[in-house]
Amino acid sequence: MTFVVTDNCIKCKYMDCVEVCPVDCFYEGQNMLVIHPDECIDCGVCEPECPAEAILPDTAPGLENWLRLNAEFAATWPNITNRRDPPSDAKEFDGVAGKLERYFSPEPGEGG
Amino acid sequence: MTRQIDDATRRPRRATVTEDGIRDLVDVFYAKIRRDPELGPIFARAIPGDWGPHLATMRDFWSSLALTSGRYKGNPLAVHRRIIGMEPALFDRWLALFDETCGELFTADLAAAFVDKATRIAESFKLGLFFRPHQTWPPGTP
Repeated sequence: MTFVVTDNCIKCKYMDCVEVCPVDCFYEGQNMLVIHPDECIDCGVCEPECPAEAILPDTAPGLENWLRLNAEFAATWPNITNRRDPPSDAKEFDGVAGKLERYFSPEPGEGG
Repeated sequence: MTRQIDDATRRPRRATVTEDGIRDLVDVFYAKIRRDPELGPIFARAIPGDWGPHLATMRDFWSSLALTSGRYKGNPLAVHRRIIGMEPALFDRWLALFDETCGELFTADLAAAFVDKATRIAESFKLGLFFRPHQTWPPGTP
């Protein structure tokens, strides 16, 4: 059981989650973060911290694609343990629908 | 130490999370663990010396979860992999003692919040430790 990062993270990437995670299970892409499903201990601390409300428990319905995406990219993206500032236009993208199709980048982030 | 635990359990139940409440939770809970006929020996083998560091770690852990203090950073699943005598029923026993402790120290809503979190994490640990769909349990049985 795990938590899952979903659409509203894309191009917001607030990264508040990273600071509170007790097991450092976040991995960084260019415009979103994902949670490694095998490392997550299901503690749920990240969920209320996300200003974009992008983090959900895997018990929420309809998350199969997001579960797969988190698992796939957590395996290749670098681990991220320190928060950096979000992109300057994060607020403009907060709440925009369908960011996956339009904006998602499979490229790794910096990590660190 | 016993006096502090007695004081903790005689105090009115707390309704909100504080570092003091977490200190009491950890102290009272692990006193029960150490006395428990099932879990006591397992923990004693895993923590043979001074329990000070372990209790401090657990305070950091619960503070990180309940107060977002960010003090705990580690790999708790790996810790459980190293335990000799680990089996699924032990998690149920752990949760029963944790539930009892939270009921003594916290009001119903707060106790439920702690127990809920512990139960989720226990499930996560059990899956990580034991879920092997192509193998039998216990390991080595035909």
